[in-house]
Amino acid sequence: MKELSLNILDITENSVKAGAALTQILIDEDASTLLLTIADNGSGMTKEVLQGVTDPFYTTRTTRSVGMGLPLLKLAAEQTDGWMKVESIHISDDPENHGTKVEALFHKDHIDFTPLGDVVSTLLTLIQGHPDTDFLFRHSIRGGEKEVEVHMDTRELREALDDVPLNEYEVIKWIEEYLNEQYNGPEDAEE
Amino acid sequence: MTVSELTQNGLTALTLPDGDRSIEGVYMGDLLSWVMGNASTDNAWITIMSNLNVVAVAVLTDVSCVILAEGVELPADVKAQAEAKGVNILTSELPSYETAVKLYELLR
Repeated sequence: MKELSLNILDITENSVKAGAALTQILIDEDASTLLLTIADNGSGMTKEVLQGVTDPFYTTRTTRSVGMGLPLLKLAAEQTDGWMKVESIHISDDPENHGTKVEALFHKDHIDFTPLGDVVSTLLTLIQGHPDTDFLFRHSIRGGEKEVEVHMDTRELREALDDVPLNEYEVIKWIEEYLNEQYNGPEDAEE
Repeated sequence: MTVSELTQNGLTALTLPDGDRSIEGVYMGDLLSWVMGNASTDNAWITIMSNLNVVAVAVLTDVSCVILAEGVELPADVKAQAEAKGVNILTSELPSYETAVKLYELLR
């Protein structure tokens, strides 16, 4: 994938498919690294499935229900001398506290680092496609020239909006502006 | 032209479990997710990537063979997996472009 945000879309779609009510997408950047965390409270994976999850054949052999998402994210991270790890608790092992957490570390100064790309579009695509599930997004950039802290929680938006569905055009437009303002500041939000 | 015939024309087979596959066109690319969406069945796929995911992408796209350009080496585990999944992998000492030109001549 030409942008990390497409990997994020792919992995988060898996979370939604796994029945997650809430998926957290966290991006922590400092001057030289980017840590991506995608954590959901979906059904989780059994130990067996978890072991095979980065083996492309485990997932492609039959129906491709999981897809190449994790193998490709792992490759993208390792190409920058980084790493990816996946932890998961299956619903049958712990009915109260289950889900999957994917973490990937990228070295941004490596020539094979894939740029993050348009993460705002990725979030809007997710909200539009899954208006009834929740997403918590946090992106912090520190240690560079510009410090950025972006935060969006659809649970908070939902509360503020009463019964208006999150995938209404006006709402999506508003979320887009809300995110862009946090990235760019209110003055130069429009481009 | 079949994959086996290619190996008689200067390309070396690293795995050849299904040499009778015919080659209809060529695809070149190293970004696996992109190749996954764009390579076609029966293409010969030229790449410099040689990890396990290459074998998976070859299976998914149903290309007739993978050609590793620039003499890229194939790790033993990837080779074993390719044999097991019926994926033909050839190697070329030439860079991707020259390999493609050579295929163009052969397939014409």
